[in-house]
Amino acid sequence: MEGLNVSTGYLSQVDGSTHYKTSTTTVLCSVTGPIEPKSRQELPTKLALELIVRPSVGVPTTREILIQDKLNSVLNQIIVGYLYPRQLCQITFQIMESGEKMEYFHIKELIACVNAATLALIDSAIALQSMAVGVVIAVTYDDSYIVDPSNEIMQNSRSVHGLVLELIEGSNVVKNVLLLDSNGDFNDAALFKVLEVGEENILKLSKHFRKIIESKVKQTLTE
Amino acid sequence: MAKDIIVSNSEAKFILETLKINQRLDGRKFTDFRDVTITFGKEYGDVMVTLGDTKVHCRISCEITQPYEDRPFEGLFLISTESTPMAGAQFENGNNVGEDEVLISRIIEKAVRRSSALDIEGLCIIAGSKCWAVRANVHFLNGDGGFIDASCIAVMAGLMHFKKPDITIDGNNIIVHPVEEREPVPLGILHVPICVTFSFYNPQDTEANIKGENNSEIVIIDATLKEELMRDGVLTVTLNKNREVVQVSKAGGLPMDAITLMDCCHKAYGITERITDQIINAIKEDYKTRNKYASILSSENDRYT
Amino acid sequence: MSNDLEKTIDIHPVSFTPEVLARISPELSLQKHLSLGFRPSLKGFEEFREIQLNEDFLSRYGKEHKDNNIIGSNVLKCGDTFVVTTITGGIIEDSVVYKNMENELIGVDDIKSTDLSNYTSIYPVVEVERGRAGACTDEEMALSQRLYDYVLYSKILPKEALKVQPGIRITDNNNGNAKVIYPDSSDNSTLPDNVFQISKKWSYLLYAKIKVFSRTGPVFDLCWNSLMYALQSVQLPRAFVDERATDLKMTIRTKGRNATIRETYEILSDPCQQYSLRLHSENIAYASNYGIINLDPEAKITEENSDEDIDMDAIESVLLADLDTEAEENSVNSTISVISNSEGGLKHVSIFGGDAKITPEMLKKLLKLSQKRACYLEDEIK
Repeated sequence: MEGLNVSTGYLSQVDGSTHYKTSTTTVLCSVTGPIEPKSRQELPTKLALELIVRPSVGVPTTREILIQDKLNSVLNQIIVGYLYPRQLCQITFQIMESGEKMEYFHIKELIACVNAATLALIDSAIALQSMAVGVVIAVTYDDSYIVDPSNEIMQNSRSVHGLVLELIEGSNVVKNVLLLDSNGDFNDAALFKVLEVGEENILKLSKHFRKIIESKVKQTLTE
Repeated sequence: MAKDIIVSNSEAKFILETLKINQRLDGRKFTDFRDVTITFGKEYGDVMVTLGDTKVHCRISCEITQPYEDRPFEGLFLISTESTPMAGAQFENGNNVGEDEVLISRIIEKAVRRSSALDIEGLCIIAGSKCWAVRANVHFLNGDGGFIDASCIAVMAGLMHFKKPDITIDGNNIIVHPVEEREPVPLGILHVPICVTFSFYNPQDTEANIKGENNSEIVIIDATLKEELMRDGVLTVTLNKNREVVQVSKAGGLPMDAITLMDCCHKAYGITERITDQIINAIKEDYKTRNKYASILSSENDRYT
Repeated sequence: MSNDLEKTIDIHPVSFTPEVLARISPELSLQKHLSLGFRPSLKGFEEFREIQLNEDFLSRYGKEHKDNNIIGSNVLKCGDTFVVTTITGGIIEDSVVYKNMENELIGVDDIKSTDLSNYTSIYPVVEVERGRAGACTDEEMALSQRLYDYVLYSKILPKEALKVQPGIRITDNNNGNAKVIYPDSSDNSTLPDNVFQISKKWSYLLYAKIKVFSRTGPVFDLCWNSLMYALQSVQLPRAFVDERATDLKMTIRTKGRNATIRETYEILSDPCQQYSLRLHSENIAYASNYGIINLDPEAKITEENSDEDIDMDAIESVLLADLDTEAEENSVNSTISVISNSEGGLKHVSIFGGDAKITPEMLKKLLKLSQKRACYLEDEIK
């Protein structure tokens, strides 16, 4: 959580937005919706999502498509889609600082996008059934588990894991694993250790997020 | 879906009426440019510019590549401006063929690239085989009018702030020195073009304006989004501190008095001068915070004059 | 009007054949199947499909000599789905030297072999044939990117293995015969030492084209396995430059200025000599996929037990291995894909959680299954 800096309601032309900055990665997320969809996007029974991920440098490539694909499966689980049938929600991500070598990794950007999206969705007042909060964990060759590793650590680590959990009941209960993306060289013991370390950190992080939201809501009420 | 923003009739009328009595919604004078803030990120060439509520982010990057065959002594310089629904629902993702989007990218291209603000011959490494390709990625984050003016400031501030890694040429091999090893080198900036956009309104009916003896059109500087949607004509002039006109763009709309053009350039010059100084000072301040220990570590002797 | 009301109307329950029901309500059909203890494809819950391989039949080094530029290939059939992987190559110049002080002081090769930057990947293009042409879909792009990423993270392909050691083509002045000599060949003693000191460096690049025919379910694991088999069959052709081109210079003139340009060498591939690609074979692992679905208690109700009390709140979920058929793909939204080797070492795990909770027990079970599956897949190639 060191160096974490979040501000919601950052943009004025959209319904919800978050400027999410960790010590290495910065992402800006905006949410517009529910709005009228194009006919090809429309879903008869639930809210359609349009996700757009923009890289900090260069034009979007298959790398950004893959980030979108992973984000899509996470966000579809936390949004109460059936409340908004035949409607569209546009969620746009602008990565401003990737914090990792773009030719090798995208995990830090992905996790930052998930956290930013959860906060931006709350800011936009779209109904959520749970919170999605994630962390990146690297396992080094000397078997230490490093949360939110730097690019250098990731490049020289044994394995790198991205974990997103679905939290309910005041962020006290883990409902499910929304996303796990583990790569490198590891075994089942390491995997379960990652889940354990991840859960602990995610619960801590989500408490921090709740505080940010709380103070923001208080501020808007007193204004 | 890209939706045009619609200003209601009563609001439109209200804005026009206020303009007629020399007032603007945000309390500015007609010739006031909104406050500009320039903040730099961790990397060189990562800059965020705000102009009132308008936010533009620009990121400069570079890589080594082959020059164009017909221009062996020049490096490559590319500006890409892409809009997303983040800036407002009127923008569509990946669709940059809308009239506004094309106009914005064309004007920035003309103002910065075609005016040789960046010394592209200085990007050449080995003639005909290796050169630097510098890329400016402009991200529109929040749209409240004046994208052209804000983007131009962002690109120029980015280019002036950016530093590319130092290189050594060893025969046919190029050795790129990491930033930690050797101080990176700034780009060669030949001049600093600054765009100022004027919006025109016609308080009378169209006929009176064209045929009338005296054109009573209203001219305001740096329109907000609502003012932009209402305007009858637009003029963007690009100047630099050397009092040179770099680019003038007026794409149809309300006809304007030729003398007004001179007047506009005069007004724009004052703004150009101020913004240029602001960029230079912001960069100086930023370098100072980066190089906290430079003065202690320097082995240079104090010089007295 | 009143006449109509007096008529008696018979109401018949609507019934469909299983095939029709599967089309109009895949979810219901799947639940009904699962309650009976098997899947729509008639497989058991934890049963995988068999695969059939056709190793390296398409490449120029394959069983029949072919005159094409494919340097490794594989055809994999799994259920109704065919995956055809062909690998081609290219050569690029390593023009830029990234100087690093560390590397100069200590030997680079052995110390930093764990660094990801010593490894590279293959450039895959996945095409899922749907009987129509058009721009590639998001699924295809995401699949290609995943294959690229996981080959890189698995550290299968070291950069060192793709370095080109060029030979030199020498033309005999007396009879005009050309021959190619490589640095490691035996008859190069007659040549001066400096012949092989070419200042430029080249690397091979590998491209994979993966075509999927008659897709019936998720295809990532099939593509990965096919790519692994194909990679193991890759043979790289040797490459050489002409002796006359080793120090070519060209003068160009533009706007009255002169410059000397060292022209790029013409590097050619040898049609006759090739060698096997040196992969880090201990890092090769195979993929399998799983899904977890909650059983609908209503589906358990049959005509016989309809009077019994069934607890509607008790959620029971099952693990399905090797997802196939549209019904499973659309109804199962908790999916897991694993890349594992026969010793239980993992290279990649990805979980996408949906409605069904992914419990540690299930995770343990599916990791065991992956190991078994990897044993099977590994044996197929031997």
